[in-house]
Amino acid sequence: MRGNEGRLRIQVEGLSFTYPGASGEALRGVDLEFEQGRFYALLGRNGSGKSTLARCMNALLTPTGGRVLSCGIDTAEGSTRRDIHKLLAMVFQDPDTQMVATTVEEEVAFGPENLGLEPPEIRRRVDDALRLVGIAHLAGRQPLRLSQGQKQLVAIAGALGMNPAFLLSDESTSMLDYSARHRVLELFRDLRSMGMGVIHVTHFLEEAAEADAVVVLDEGRVVASGPPAKTLGDPERVRSLGLEPLAATVVAGELGRLGHPVPGGALDVKELVTWLNA
Amino acid sequence: MTGSDITIGQYLAAPTALHGVDPRLKFIAVFAGIVMVFIYGGWSIVAFAVFLLALLAAARLPLLQVLKSLRTVWVIVVVTFLLQVFLTPGEVVWHGWFLSATDTGLYNGALFSARVLLLVVLLAALTMTTPPLKLADGLESLLRPLKYLKVPVSRVTTVISITLMFIPNILEQSRRLVRAQMARGADFESANVLRRARDIAPVLVPLFVKVFHDADELALAMDARAYAGGEGRTRLYPMKIGALEAALTLAFVAVSIGLAFV
Amino acid sequence: MAQRLRLEDVSYSYPLPGREDAPALQGAGLSVESGEVFCIAGANGSGKSTLAQVCAGLLVPASGQILYGEEAVVGRGALRGFRRKVGLLFQSPEDQLFADTVAKDIAFGPRNHGLKGEELKAAVVGAAGLVGLSLDELGARSPFSLSGGEKRRAALAGVLALEPEVLVLDEPFIGLDFEGRERLKSALVSYREERGASIIIVTHELSDVWPLATRFALLSKGRLLGVKDKSDLISGDTDLAALGMKLPQWGELARELLRLGIPVADQSDPLAIAGALASHREATGDR
Repeated sequence: MRGNEGRLRIQVEGLSFTYPGASGEALRGVDLEFEQGRFYALLGRNGSGKSTLARCMNALLTPTGGRVLSCGIDTAEGSTRRDIHKLLAMVFQDPDTQMVATTVEEEVAFGPENLGLEPPEIRRRVDDALRLVGIAHLAGRQPLRLSQGQKQLVAIAGALGMNPAFLLSDESTSMLDYSARHRVLELFRDLRSMGMGVIHVTHFLEEAAEADAVVVLDEGRVVASGPPAKTLGDPERVRSLGLEPLAATVVAGELGRLGHPVPGGALDVKELVTWLNA
Repeated sequence: MTGSDITIGQYLAAPTALHGVDPRLKFIAVFAGIVMVFIYGGWSIVAFAVFLLALLAAARLPLLQVLKSLRTVWVIVVVTFLLQVFLTPGEVVWHGWFLSATDTGLYNGALFSARVLLLVVLLAALTMTTPPLKLADGLESLLRPLKYLKVPVSRVTTVISITLMFIPNILEQSRRLVRAQMARGADFESANVLRRARDIAPVLVPLFVKVFHDADELALAMDARAYAGGEGRTRLYPMKIGALEAALTLAFVAVSIGLAFV
Repeated sequence: MAQRLRLEDVSYSYPLPGREDAPALQGAGLSVESGEVFCIAGANGSGKSTLAQVCAGLLVPASGQILYGEEAVVGRGALRGFRRKVGLLFQSPEDQLFADTVAKDIAFGPRNHGLKGEELKAAVVGAAGLVGLSLDELGARSPFSLSGGEKRRAALAGVLALEPEVLVLDEPFIGLDFEGRERLKSALVSYREERGASIIIVTHELSDVWPLATRFALLSKGRLLGVKDKSDLISGDTDLAALGMKLPQWGELARELLRLGIPVADQSDPLAIAGALASHREATGDR
């Protein structure tokens, strides 16, 4: 994967998007910047525009207003879509609707094949991606016959085969059970440590709490962004954004009301216990 | 909509000798077979059927399953047969009620039914042993010359491969929907044909909606992975035609043509 | 009013072997009391969807039996009768909507059961009301034009209109946002209170069922590992992680309180928990 040589960025500038035939805007003037080597969580209620934003970033959708510079490339230029797909790989929600091949290794090879790489290079990328994700032993299996969690790992390996600078996850954990979700999150953190930028669209605040930065969208606008403790620490605020505050956050909020504020709030039980023993 | 059958067009994971054959050769063989099936007369078609089935059995294709999966086709075959038998003029060999079977009718009925069956078997053998993506690659490679005539070959082959990829999805969805609507009191086990027919809409409408939605998602996922048809696409395992498989394909085509003179 | 639903040593296997996403079920036995909210918990591939369909009489067990009340559900007639008393909401039920209007879609079930005219209308209106959908506003609209959360509630209304005594839901909360999940939960609570129905929720994610369910059947690889109370799960006698699941944060909190020996009267009340924590801190701080 890429090292730290000149971190690449995704710059979202005044981005608006309206779906053809839709009455309202899905995104209204979004300004954001993402950089390599960081793990971002993108939150928001259904219809808040988070998937639309992810799709605008890797040129699956073209802005109807403002612009997106993905690693310096304007996504509105049709001729450069392939370059953007190379740099920003995407994993979707339902693993069943993103499988194209009949073996795991050919599934992972699909992206590199489309990039027109030579067979030895494809081989190398497939092996690297499978090893990184920890599913080298599944190389010869049929994707359709794997469990949901394994399928999603195959999809992630497929995205990594593109050797991207950023990985966009469009609710890729929402259909998985806890152990599979846990594995995927662990992988995202590893990828971040290796210098990749990870942008994870999710419903789960517990996942977002592990990110370096959180962005919350509502009605197509950025309504909160920053470190998890700052964006997700106030239970009332979190509720008003259409999200369910974490249990520890709710209790910390009540403690504050009782005159025992927990400095910086709490996102997990450990933080509460630490405060209790301080 | 019973669950356990293999359906025509669905890829078979269990490997057969035909799985490894270059998709282009398979296309050529199947194409030759289809053309000849329509040329053959009486004994030729019998000989070809024996030849083809023996070949597929030798390649370890589960023939019984193939034939069972033809259930929907059997209806067409039987109707074709009956129409031919009773509606072709000729010497009457059997008479009952208001129908009479003729000798020419029997001959035509058998011939036409055999044609339909062999056609389906040939196509089934192709799709069962070739993953959809390889089918698209192979077809695109064979049809490349048509690009000079401005035929959108890539698009056509992509559409074909996505369609084939969706067969397992469609089956799974329809099974799910039948059970979901049964839970809402729909009756698919009723002896009342009218009632059963009425309860098809609650399965078909959401099936279409879901399959179109999923196809859309798949197209998006393929797009995100830089798929733009076969143009500029390389392969992890490049398509390469071996001498042996080429010779065998040639032999198959030659035998198929030769059988016309039986 | 629902009766007790019992499964005795139920086994089921799919005609297609080797399908890891549809595992067989082996010797499952459980009992759901009348009016109970019961959770069947298991990771993906544990056989929980299979068990849900067996509970609803849609899959007929290969061995073992189902008892509803005192009656064994045996034979076609009994099965048909049983199916009428049990409603099943499939996973992503919004995928089963088909009619050209929301009202007609909700009416599909009761119409199949022979309801007509005023009776049918009453069933539809009642069900829509329970799930909080306004028929005046949405009744004449196409179900496909609804939002994700509305679609799911419309699908639930389609099942509730059959007035099932036992309601089985397969992963009802997946893919819904906070508001959608809260609305669904309140619909379930009010249906149970109004009709005395039993509710069986099948899921791999315990956080949403946590405030609703009293007992949890744990399923792994097609086998039932036991039925646990909430307090069993809190005290940590079962390794949920080994089953591919996780105690929700509210449960973790309760477990921590237990470990620290801090008593809380009502563990579902954040204020009570905060109060207990505050007094604990004061007490230990004084030392």
